[in-house]
Order: sequence, then structure tokens, then C-alpha cells
Amino acid sequence: MSKKVLEAENVVFNYPDGTNALDGLSLSIEKGKKIAILGANGAGKSTLFLHFNGILKPKKGNIKFRGKKVSYKKKELKNLRKNIGIVFQDPDMQLFSSSVFQEISFGPLNLGLSETKTRERVDEAMQIMEITNIKDKPTHLLSYGQKKRISIADILAMKPEVIIFDEPTVWLDPKHSKEILGFINQINKKGTTVILSTHDVDLAYQWADYIYIFSDGKIIGEGNSEKIFRDNKLLKESDLIKPWIIEVYEKLIQNGKISSTVSVPKSKSELFELI
Amino acid sequence: MIDIDQYAYNNNFSSFHPLEKSFFALFTILITLTANSFMTSIIVIAVISLMLITAAGIPFKFYLKLLFIPLSFLIIASITAVVSFSRELNNYFFYFELGGWFFGLESKSLNTAVLLFLKSFASICCLYFLTLTTPVLEIISVLRKFKLPEIVIELMMLIYRFIFVLLDTADLIRTSQLSRLGYSSIKKSFFSIAKLISNLFIRAYYRAQGLLTALVARGYDGKIRVLERKYSFSYKNIMIIILFETFLIIISIFGGGNFV
Ligand SMILES: Nc1ncnc2c1ncn2[C@@H]1O[C@H](COP(=O)(O)OP(=O)(O)O)[C@@H](O)[C@H]1O
Ligand SMILES: [Mg+2]
Repeated sequence: MSKKVLEAENVVFNYPDGTNALDGLSLSIEKGKKIAILGANGAGKSTLFLHFNGILKPKKGNIKFRGKKVSYKKKELKNLRKNIGIVFQDPDMQLFSSSVFQEISFGPLNLGLSETKTRERVDEAMQIMEITNIKDKPTHLLSYGQKKRISIADILAMKPEVIIFDEPTVWLDPKHSKEILGFINQINKKGTTVILSTHDVDLAYQWADYIYIFSDGKIIGEGNSEKIFRDNKLLKESDLIKPWIIEVYEKLIQNGKISSTVSVPKSKSELFELI
Repeated sequence: MIDIDQYAYNNNFSSFHPLEKSFFALFTILITLTANSFMTSIIVIAVISLMLITAAGIPFKFYLKLLFIPLSFLIIASITAVVSFSRELNNYFFYFELGGWFFGLESKSLNTAVLLFLKSFASICCLYFLTLTTPVLEIISVLRKFKLPEIVIELMMLIYRFIFVLLDTADLIRTSQLSRLGYSSIKKSFFSIAKLISNLFIRAYYRAQGLLTALVARGYDGKIRVLERKYSFSYKNIMIIILFETFLIIISIFGGGNFV
């Protein structure tokens, strides 16, 4: 069994207006993995993320970081926020400065790093996200995709152990979605645990090592992608559609074009090989 | 406003140290205002305008349009300052009579008015030099160097960012109103504008909340710490500035004189 970085244990949370956003939710995130959280709007994905970073505190239940219950003491919160980074859904909500450099330097400085160290971190993050060429442009003259990259660099510069991406591809066109996913994979390859929320089943199927399905503040299914998406009952219950690759694969078996012992293709190219 | 902002980022002087540009503009204004010399003002107007258009790359037409706004006020103010009237014939070098009153131009007040006009014109050019070549953020960073209180600096930074965010939001709301004929009559226009403004307030409030959450997530503890981009001073620029200012001072001392 590999190491768990983050866990939620029977977490219950209501917003002040009475909305029951999380309703006894438990899950655990393994170190170094790619985790997808699938769920419709309002299922509670963002609310859970704010718990992981200590911004919201569960009404009942616990959040555990590296196996230890989070106690919400000031020092511990600081450590949690250093290690769990969130890339928010809307970069316009996250970016507070019109200067790319100022923006990215904010996180590392809050960690107490020196000016020299911070400059190194900012330069490195800009290099990874390939935004060095726009570093002198003001935020308001940049495109949505560019702002998204800055918002990721913001977090990269803090070098957290886990990075959470809240619906990273939601307002991006296919080309830019692919680019951002490329960056996310690159970040994961270097050892960072990555959690991503989405309602794109094709994305979750092809990308994730492990998937959780959220509905109304609860987890109604979990497992690796093959298990989740071949479970017709679960899909029906969660109002999710089947990834098109699986649909084609099942059709091929049905029509006797391939035998049912052939393993499920994980990507478009694997599927084409079968055909 | 927004156009000035765009040029501030895209001009040939944008890589220069903001302190150099600020000092240049401020010292030049200071000399122009203290010197009682037509020559000084005229040189400042000519040099700065030429610099902006040829070296910095600000389009001539755009620059003229910018100048037109303050200049029209200046001209009207100067005219009223220069015309005087009395019952006797004074030192008018040009006058006309109307019902026993003499209306005319006195050479002394004409001098003062022209000097005032030129000084103001030159100062406007200097200020445009600063705003057209230096982005707001860098002006803010200069203010930070001069130890303006942190809270003021933070506010300026956030306000500058959110002007554009809210402008986008307002744009979106307006477009959606337009597409539903929200401005097709005066009455509807008033109604739509009211809705737009109240909507903008609500969204600004949510934005502020969301921003705070995002800041806290990155370890915000009540103080916004950021690093400035590094600029290097250019000895060449500094030399040019010193030479120009010295030249101006000399001109002001020896080249003073009266107009007309
Ligand atoms: N600040 C808030 N105040 C009150 N209710 C909220 C707030 N944020 C989210 N909610 C509600 O909590 C539920 C879960 O929301 P959220 O976690 O944002 O879902 P998701 O990210 O999966 O779309 C929704 O019903 C939503 O309306
Ligand atoms: Mg959400």
C-alpha cells in the first residue's frame, strides 16, 4: 500500500446559508498519483478542495495530511497551505496583480523565502509554464489561456506536494485544454500529486489513475477508470455518460469484431490499434 | 484612459528604469515652473513631443488628440486672463472702444498670459511623457520606493487590477442587455443602466470574497508581499537627463526675456 497524502474522513460541511455541501464524505489521496474528481455542478468538489487547504473547516469529521489530523493551529495551517496548492477555476478570481512577476512572487514570499530564492522560483515557474515571454505584459492584456498558465505558475512557485486543479479545462478550447493537460502531466511526472476536478468523462477516463464520483456532497463511486466506466448502474445513478472509447470498445465486442478478453483501450491510439 | 494604458506597456521606453523616467519628468516640470522663460517652456514642449513621437513611438495623431483636451481649457483660460478693460486708455497695444469702455490687450498681461500658457503646456507634456511611457504599476513601485504607506500601495495595486476585471464584467452585462433590447428607449436605458450598476456591485462583492479565498490559499496573512521586476539604470540615460536638465537651467537663466 503506498502512502496517503491527504484524507477526508466523514466530512460534513454546511455553508452559513444552510446549503449542505458535503454530507459525510470520505476519500484518500495517494502520493504521486493522478486523481480525478467527477461530478456535476454543485456536487461539492470546490468545497472539498477548500477543506484540503484549511480554508474551510469540517463541521464534522476530519481532514488528515500525511496521516495526521489537521488541528487548525496557525503554524499547522501555514504548513498545510505550503504543501497543498489550489489552482482556482477562474484565473480572474485568483490573479490579484497586473504584473506577472509580482503575482507569482506572492506565494514564495509568504513562505518566508529570501528575495533571491523567490526570484529563482518565479523564473523557474515561468519557464515551466512557458510564460517568460509575457512577463512584462499586464494581466488585463492577456488571453484567458495565458492567465490560466499564470495561475498555475502562481502555485508551482510554492513547490507544494499536492496541486489541486479546480476544473482546469472548463472554459478552454480543445487546443488550449490539451496544452494545460500537458503541463499538468509534466508536473505530475516530476513527483507532484495532482488532483483535478472535471465533468468531462473522456478526460477523466484517459487521464486519471483513480477516480472519485461525487454527487450531492457524497461519493457514489470510486476506482480506476475501467472499473468506474464499465459500471452501467453507477453511470446511470450519477447521470454520467460513458467515455466514447469504451462505448466503441463495447460495440466492437458486441459485434464480434474483437474478443471480450482484449483489454480495454485507454486512449484513442490504443483503440485504433484494436481496429 | 485605456489607450494610454496600452501605450504605457508598448513603447520604446518601456524597458527604461521607471525612476529615470519619473525623475526626468518631475525635474523638467520643476524647472519649467520656476523659470520665467519662454525659451525654456518652448524647448521642453518641442523636445518632449519629439521624443514621444520619434523615439518612444507614440503615434502623432494619438498624441495630438491627448493634448487637445487640456489645451482647449488652457486657451480659454489664457484668453480671459489677457483681455482687460477700463475707462482710461492704458498701455494697450491693441484695443477697441465700446460704450465709453476700452477693451484691450496690455503688453504686460499678455506677457504673463503667454508665459502661463507655455508653462502649463510644457508641464502637461511632461506628465504625458510619464504616463505614456511608464505603466501604472511602475509608477506605483516608484511610490513604494519613496516609502508611501503599504496600505495605499496595496490599494492602488488592487484597484488598478480590478478596474479591468470589472470593466470586462460590465461589458458582458451590457452586451447581454443590448442583445435583449435593453437600450431601445430612454426609459429602458435608464432601467438597464440601474440594473447594470447594481449587478456590478454584487459581482464586485463576490469577486472580493473569491480573491480573498485565493489569497489565503497562498498563505496571505494581512500583508501583500510582492517583488518588483528588476530594472537596471542606464548610465547613458542618466547622462542624457543630467545634460538636458543642466541645459534647461542655463537657458532659463540666460535665455529669459519678454514676449512681444
Ligand atoms: N460560498 C457559498 N455560500 C453558500 N453556498 C455555497 C457557497 N459555495 C458553494 N455553495 C453551495 O455548495 C454546494 C457545493 O458547491 P461547490 O463545492 O462549489 O460544487 P462544485 O465545485 O462541485 O460545483 C452547491 O450547492 C453550492 O451552491
Ligand atoms: Mg466548483
